[in-house]
Amino acid sequence: MSGPDFAVSKTGTTQANGRHDVGAAGSVLREPTGPTVPLNRLAPEAALRRLELTVVRRLEGFLQGDHLGLLPGPGSDLNDARIYVPGQDDVRRMDWAVTARTTVPHVRDTMADRELEVWALLDATPSMNWGTAGVTKRDLGIAAIATLGFISQKMGDRFGGMVMHSDSVKRFPARSGRQALYGLLGKLLDDPIERDNQPATLGLPEGIEALIRTQRRRGMRVVVSDFLDPGDQELDPKAPPSWERPLRRLAVRNQVLCVEVVDAGEMEFPDVGELLIRDPETDFARFVNTSDVRARKMIDRAAAAQRERVAAAMRRAGVGHIRLQTDRDWVNDIARFVLTYRQTAAVLHQPPQGVTK
Amino acid sequence: MTGDTTQVWLWEFFNPERLWALLVLPVLVIAYILLLRLKRNRGMRYTQTGIVGAVLPRQSQWRRHVSVAMALCSLAAITGAWARPAGTEQVPRERATVVLVLDLSQSMQATDIDPTRLDASKQAAKDFIAQLPASYDIALVALSGNSRVLAQPTNDRGMINRYIDALTLEDGTHIGDALMAALDAIAHAPGEPGEDPAPGMVIMLSDGSNTGGEVSPEQAAANAREQGVVVNTIAFGTLNGYVDLDGQRYNVAPDTEALQQIAAATGGAAVDAKSASQLNNAYDQMRSDVTYEDVKKEVTARWALYALAFAFVASLGAVSMAARWP
Repeated sequence: MSGPDFAVSKTGTTQANGRHDVGAAGSVLREPTGPTVPLNRLAPEAALRRLELTVVRRLEGFLQGDHLGLLPGPGSDLNDARIYVPGQDDVRRMDWAVTARTTVPHVRDTMADRELEVWALLDATPSMNWGTAGVTKRDLGIAAIATLGFISQKMGDRFGGMVMHSDSVKRFPARSGRQALYGLLGKLLDDPIERDNQPATLGLPEGIEALIRTQRRRGMRVVVSDFLDPGDQELDPKAPPSWERPLRRLAVRNQVLCVEVVDAGEMEFPDVGELLIRDPETDFARFVNTSDVRARKMIDRAAAAQRERVAAAMRRAGVGHIRLQTDRDWVNDIARFVLTYRQTAAVLHQPPQGVTK
Repeated sequence: MTGDTTQVWLWEFFNPERLWALLVLPVLVIAYILLLRLKRNRGMRYTQTGIVGAVLPRQSQWRRHVSVAMALCSLAAITGAWARPAGTEQVPRERATVVLVLDLSQSMQATDIDPTRLDASKQAAKDFIAQLPASYDIALVALSGNSRVLAQPTNDRGMINRYIDALTLEDGTHIGDALMAALDAIAHAPGEPGEDPAPGMVIMLSDGSNTGGEVSPEQAAANAREQGVVVNTIAFGTLNGYVDLDGQRYNVAPDTEALQQIAAATGGAAVDAKSASQLNNAYDQMRSDVTYEDVKKEVTARWALYALAFAFVASLGAVSMAARWP
C-alpha cells in the first residue's frame, strides 16, 4: 500500500516562535501539552476504503448489518431447517428438499446479519505521553484507532471509545457513521493530557475490566496500550502479566485486537550520556550512564525479552496483536496486519470450549 | 598574637565573632537539598524504568554527596581558621618562685619508707631542687606545729640544700599555717623592678592530718587561690606507717583527702607517694607542672590543614564526577 507517509514528522521546520519543531521529542523532558498529530493526518480515509477488517466472531446487535449474527433472524446466511409453523412462517422460505425427504413441511432459517460494534480502549496513562519520534505513543494509539475505525466502517457499524486515565475511565458512546468517528477521534485528541506522577488507582487490568463490564454485547474490542505495568521487572515469558487474565475474559465473547504501541527509544536504549532517568508513573529516579555500551546492550536485551513476554501473553489470550512504532508509518503497518489477518483470524479467535463462536 | 579567647563548643577562638560566617553553611545545605528536589523534575522521562532498574546496577550517589559534604566541611574548617582558633602549648617558664613545704612532724620518723620518711623526703627534695632551672627562686617552709619560713626565696641552691639537711623533727602538723607561711614567702620574693612578680608555686609534702593551727587549711587554700598561687600536694607515706611515741604506737597514714582538696581548690595537682621511688616520680611530675606553663597559641595553620584535607577529598570527588571515572 503506497499511501502518504503519515508518520514523518515535521522535524527541521521552524515554528512561529522561532524554535525548531522537534515533533514529540519534547515529551522526553516533560509531559506534552497537546496532541502531536492533527486530526486530518490521523488516517487516510479514502485509501482505507478498500480494506476490510475480517470479523470472525458472531455478533449481537439490533440492526441489519453486514456481519454474521449470533441468533436467527432475517439475513443472507442459511442456518438449520425447522418444522413449518402455519401462520408464523413465510411459505417462501420453505425448504423443499428437506420437506420432500421427511414428508413434513420444513422451512430454512437464516442467521441475522448484524451490525458491528467496535469499542476501543485507549490507555492514556503518563507512560503513553512519550515519544522520541514524530508522535507520542498516545497519539499513535489514537491514529491506530482512527485507522481501524475507518477500516471497520460498514453500513450501520458503530464505533465507541474509552479513555483510561490513572484515576478514571472516560467513555465516549458508540455511534455510527464517519462524522461520528471523526467526532470521537477529535475528542480523543483533545482529551486532557495527564500530569506525571499522579496517584494512580487504575491500571490496564482495571481498564480492561471496565471495558468488559460496560459493554456486554458481542462485538470487536480494540485495546490500545504499551502493555507495560509500571515498574514491572518480570522478563520470563511464562509469567502472565497482570492484564492477561482480564484480556482472556474480554476475548471470551469478543473479537479482540491489541494494538501495542512502542517507541524506538524503548526498543533501543538511547545513548545520551550520563543523566537522570525518571519514570512518569512510578517514583523511579536514577542516574544512569547511558553511554555504557554494555549496559545499553543489556537493557535492549531485557526490553526485547519484555516485548516477547507481551506477545506470548497475547497469544495465550487468543487476541490479535498489532505492534506499532512511533517512528514508522502506522497505516502501512495496520494494512499489512489486516491483509494477513484475513487468513489467520479464524484460527486466532477460536473461542474457548463451550462458547459459541 | 595573644588575647582573650572564647570557648565555642569544644574549641577556643580569639575572634569568635567571625564564626557567624558559618551561617552560610545551613543556607548552602538547604540550597543543595532544594536543588536535589528540583532535579527530580528534570532528567529524562523514560517508560521502561522497571527493566532499567532491574538490569543496571544501582549507581550510588554517595560520591556526589560526599563531595558536597567535604566541601562544606572544608568551608567550616576554613571559617574556624579565620576565627583564629586557640590551642594550648607548653612553654618553659622563665622564672618562678617555688616554695617547698616539708612536713617535719613526728610522724615523719616512721620507717615504712626506707630509711625514714624524713630522710627520704629530704633526699627527694634536694634532687628536685637540683633539676630546677637556675633562675628559679626557691623558698623552704617547715610544716609542723610551728610552721614558719625557713628560707626566704633565693636561687642560692647551696643554702637551700644546707637548710634541708638541717631539718629536724618537730611536734604538730599545722597545714593552714604552713600554707600561709608559704604565701608570705612568695610575697617576699625578690622581683625585678618594672616586671610582674614571678608566678608562685607551692609544693607541699605532708604525711599526716591537720592537727590545728591559727588558719584552717581550707581558708589558707582560699587565700592561695586569691593570690593565684598553685598548691601541688604530695601525700607521703603508706597506710600502714606507724610511730612509737612515749611507748605508744600511733598509726600515721597520710590524709590524702585533705591534701587533694587543697590542691583542687588552687588548681594544683595532688599525688600519692608510697615509697621513695614514687616520691621521686611525684617530684618529676611536679617539675613538669612547675617548669612549663600552658600558653594559648593560635593554631590557625592546623585548622587550615584540616580545611585543605577536606577540600582535597571534595576536589577528588568533583574531578571524578567531571571526568566520569571508570
